[in-house]
Amino acid sequence: MSDPANPVSPAGADRTMDHLDEITCLMYAERQLDRDRAQAVSAHAQECAACRTLLRALERESRLLTRAMLEEDEPLPARLAQFHARSQHSFQWIWGLIFGLAATGLYALYTSFIEPWMSRLEQAGLGGTSLLSVLISQGAFWKGWQSVITLVEILAMLIVAGFAAVIFRRRIGRRGSALALVLTSMCALLGLPSPAAATEFRHEDRVTIGADEVIHSDLFVAGGRVRIEGTIEGDLIAAGGEIDVTGHVTGDVLSSSGTLIVSGQVDGNIRSYAGNMTIRGKIGHNVLIAGGDVNVDRDAVVTGSVTTFGGHLTVDGQVGRDVLAGGGAVSIAGTLGGGLKVRSGELNISSGATVKGPVDFVGDHPPDVASGAKLASPVHFEKMKHGEDDYRNARYYMWRVIWCAAYILFGLVLFKVMPEFSGECVGMAERYGPSLGVGLLSIPGVFVGSVIACVTIVGLFIGVSTLFLLWAGIYFGLVVAAAAIGQWLLGRTRESWPLIGRMALGMVLMRVAFAIPKVGGWVKLGAVIWGAGAVALAVYSRLQPKLPTIQTTTVQPAPVATPAL
Amino acid sequence: MNVPGVTETTEAVARARAGDNEAWGQLYKEYAPAIFRFCRRALPTREDAEDATMEIFMKLRDKLSQYDETRSFSAWLYRVAANHCWDILRRRKIRQDKETEDVETVPLEHPDPNQLDKLIEQRTSEEVREALHKLGPRARMALVLRYYSDMSYDEIADELGVRRAFVGVVLLRARHELRQALEGTAALAAGGTP
Repeated sequence: MSDPANPVSPAGADRTMDHLDEITCLMYAERQLDRDRAQAVSAHAQECAACRTLLRALERESRLLTRAMLEEDEPLPARLAQFHARSQHSFQWIWGLIFGLAATGLYALYTSFIEPWMSRLEQAGLGGTSLLSVLISQGAFWKGWQSVITLVEILAMLIVAGFAAVIFRRRIGRRGSALALVLTSMCALLGLPSPAAATEFRHEDRVTIGADEVIHSDLFVAGGRVRIEGTIEGDLIAAGGEIDVTGHVTGDVLSSSGTLIVSGQVDGNIRSYAGNMTIRGKIGHNVLIAGGDVNVDRDAVVTGSVTTFGGHLTVDGQVGRDVLAGGGAVSIAGTLGGGLKVRSGELNISSGATVKGPVDFVGDHPPDVASGAKLASPVHFEKMKHGEDDYRNARYYMWRVIWCAAYILFGLVLFKVMPEFSGECVGMAERYGPSLGVGLLSIPGVFVGSVIACVTIVGLFIGVSTLFLLWAGIYFGLVVAAAAIGQWLLGRTRESWPLIGRMALGMVLMRVAFAIPKVGGWVKLGAVIWGAGAVALAVYSRLQPKLPTIQTTTVQPAPVATPAL
Repeated sequence: MNVPGVTETTEAVARARAGDNEAWGQLYKEYAPAIFRFCRRALPTREDAEDATMEIFMKLRDKLSQYDETRSFSAWLYRVAANHCWDILRRRKIRQDKETEDVETVPLEHPDPNQLDKLIEQRTSEEVREALHKLGPRARMALVLRYYSDMSYDEIADELGVRRAFVGVVLLRARHELRQALEGTAALAAGGTP
């Protein structure tokens, strides 16, 4: 047999040889030989009638094949002729359904979660015009927040631009370049010095601001015991075991302490994480407490609202606006200018209490309301549900379908926007062990890291962004897990729409599994860990440096004119 | 690579890429018959060809954004179609080892040109197409890529996953198989020196 890589053997150029072999003739007839070899074959064919005849026969055979192939023997079947219009119509219907369900899901998300929380945050003095500013408590926690927000907004825009650059990388250049540009920009911006604010720092075991002392700026103070007897013409940011404010703070009080006692006057807001808190003085705006028990004493006056998350709440004094409480028992004996919204185990309203707004209570038992209590309206009581869903209600199933559609749409968008990365994630999810292991480590790890990053003002943006990425990664992980389940059931595919179809099937099955009482929560946890782990592995894989590949090119032989035979 | 019976419609491609459904319909109308015939030659049954044609156009719609406008649309279209059909055939668990064995065992001797001539003269296009379906998947695909899509040896090598130098052998074996199928005998393919 001739070597296909070298169809014309040395003997092939020799006119004394018997005949050319068929493959040499075929490659010659199809102009696939290089010039030298073609000339040798041509020269031989001029003198050898048999080979000349074979060449002609092969050429005629090629023409016969081409004619047989190209002959329009069959018209396009009617099924295919109608395919385009039908598929168009079909897709529009599916898209309409999915978008409709997803829009309903978004509406439900907004009305069920975002709007109530925005309302509560606004009542707690964390109002803002954008979700971003609400989420990071615009103007409440830090004097320099405004500048930080500006920075955050710029960086957010840069991230969006970076993602867009990555998506359209084929048009603007290599992905690495785009990513490097974004990261460099972010680092440069993070390195910019933030505007300095007038502040004073005190850090001792015992810190006392004397009664005649006036701080003409914000005060940052940390110590085992902190006493503020004087005046602070700005914000008080304090951390300590016990903080006692008997003086006057013209701005806000932000604290993290074991015990916080405010007997003096605070013109702004109080935001605190404290083991226990007692208010005896006058608070100009709102109080937001997360932590242990909160006691608003008889002499206390809070002009704004009181919001607590944690232990027991006792209100004996006056609150100008609403009281919102979630956690332990709530006792009201004072006067509330607004309403009362409580989600906790117990609610007691004493005979001396006055509530000028509506009272909503979600708890295990009906509230204990004394006959002498002055309420603007009867208490609206709703029994607290402990993870129980009403399986007999049609709405329950309707919302399940809507949420499932929303998840599928989310996955569809991701799979279309990032087809390669999504495919890689699904591929990683098929490695069950590593995905679960990495997920188990990465989710709490990233969360803790984000919280640590948030501790300092320099790391706040990184921390908040990472938390958002973690949150998005968890949802993406669910989509990836669904696609992996679909692949497992229907077989592997790397094509876009079949993969999306498998994701949709997997998502439906997962949502059904999530709805199983008692077990569903664990299934969901497992799916989140598995999927997020796969995403983390795919990200890790992408960050690994790739070895350069050697590109090989095949040189097309120069065409040779077919000789006249 | 030239595409039979198909005219380049650059403008329609550009509009279809921009999301114009009408332009997409125009492209479909123009190219679907040729792609269907390609699939009809490459795949074993008519039903397979119809399904594959639909799938190819669905895939094309997704991939249209990846099309490099500086290159021939029809060439790109046929690459996508060839990939899809070859994937289908491979998914059906083609035994590559069996094919390779076949290739190795069929001789590469000098056939009888007169018999070959006679065979060509006697056969119609329809008979050739019928015989095509008696061939193995790789042999059939190689012939379709070469004589229907007019692909170069490099492109065929890329599609079939073989070395370029091996494409000639694959094509020759395919023609031998075709002759055998047309003759119903291996006499001509076995050949003999004159």
